Amino acid sequence: MRRSRPRLFVALDAGSVSGGAGTRGGGGFRLASHARVPLGPGALAPSPFAPNVVRPGEVVDALRELARSLRIGAEPVCLLLPDGIARLALLDVPADVTPQQYARFRIVPGLPYPAEEAVIDVLPVGPGRAVVAAVRRSVIEGYEAVAEQAGLAQDRLDLTPLAALSGLLRHPGDAGGLMVDVVLGDAAFCLAAHQDGVLRALRNRRRDPGPDEPRRLAEEVQRTSVLAGDGAGPHVRVVGAGAGDLLASWRANGGTAEPGWRSEGAGAGVEPSELAWLGATD
Amino acid sequence: MRDFSSRPRRRAARPVDLAVLAAGTAAFVLSGYTTTNAWNGRQRARARVEETRRESEAVQARVRELDARREPAQAIAYQALLTAEAPPPRVLADLVALMPGDVRLDAVSMTYGEPLGLRVEVVARTPSSYDLFLDRLQRSPLFTDVLPGEENRDGELRTSIQMTYRSPEGAPRPPAQRASEGSTPERAR
Repeated sequence: MRRSRPRLFVALDAGSVSGGAGTRGGGGFRLASHARVPLGPGALAPSPFAPNVVRPGEVVDALRELARSLRIGAEPVCLLLPDGIARLALLDVPADVTPQQYARFRIVPGLPYPAEEAVIDVLPVGPGRAVVAAVRRSVIEGYEAVAEQAGLAQDRLDLTPLAALSGLLRHPGDAGGLMVDVVLGDAAFCLAAHQDGVLRALRNRRRDPGPDEPRRLAEEVQRTSVLAGDGAGPHVRVVGAGAGDLLASWRANGGTAEPGWRSEGAGAGVEPSELAWLGATD
Repeated sequence: MRDFSSRPRRRAARPVDLAVLAAGTAAFVLSGYTTTNAWNGRQRARARVEETRRESEAVQARVRELDARREPAQAIAYQALLTAEAPPPRVLADLVALMPGDVRLDAVSMTYGEPLGLRVEVVARTPSSYDLFLDRLQRSPLFTDVLPGEENRDGELRTSIQMTYRSPEGAPRPPAQRASEGSTPERAR
């Protein structure tokens, strides 16, 4: 089964395109390869409605450079699209319907675009529960177009926050209490509160970078914890771009958060917790 | 595995995929064989239906032919019966018995069928005589369906009348009329 999965991942976000390959062992992730190519400000703007690829040429060039760095040939890659483009929701799904069908019933009517434009998929999180995501087809097509122009052979296409949550929920941690996972994207972030293997709350917010952001994110974690029914000092894990800086800031202020995943052995010059898409390799 | 691709994803074939493909191919071949058999069976069934239909039509045509043959035979039999029960002299006598004295027959034609049809060309000296003749015809139990033709009332009245004759056994002859008029076929001519 593992051989069937694409070994290479290419993630796009507002600030950069990155990718590589990695495997997860008992002690953490081992990166086989990794590369990151920064994007100019505004070249790619994650949005649920508007075209995301503002300057296609620049994004295509960055993807080509990434492909060269990772020596990606004709091998299909899994594309990972950034947080901030999907409508996410945690649903209790009735037994007589699939999560996709239920999502079309519950979420699609509230989308600000025609229902037929919604591409829906799910992250099952236990019996009768699922995180569902709806993305506008034209938004996806924009990403697929630049990947194709860059010569990338697309295998499947996933969302980075769902890939990260998938990896985090597979390893919920040893702590017996409530766990709040923070998945950082360049434009948005997710907070997932779970306990004993049950996802209790899911929140998705736009980021507002600035010197005050670590404090506001800490407050969001606290709100999520209260929303999940336990506001008394949850355990916190963080993955995604800027995870190291956020953890350092929180620790400096007496926080106890930790990285969502660690490196096993010598890495490829990057901390795995900075790479939210690694959850897809698990 | 999640996939938000806007188009179907491409994926390298796995052994299980190849096994499923092989099973699918076998199922396709089997279904094709079954379909061919079913198609041939259907064709055979259709041929049998067509043959049965042709046989049915042939039988129906034969029945119609026999019916057609039976009809003239019936008509001939009935004609023979009428000829015996209502010979022309008798029909003519009954008709003439109803004629006033100033009405005559120019021509008479009889059609022995079911019923016995008569068409007579009539010449009346006066319209009132003709009217009287029509009245007697219409009241007579021997003649029914009396249908007068167009009348020429210039001078002598000339017209034609169509009617049917009923067998005297079913309708008793009115002897009183015959006696009072004293008409004879010879006079009618």
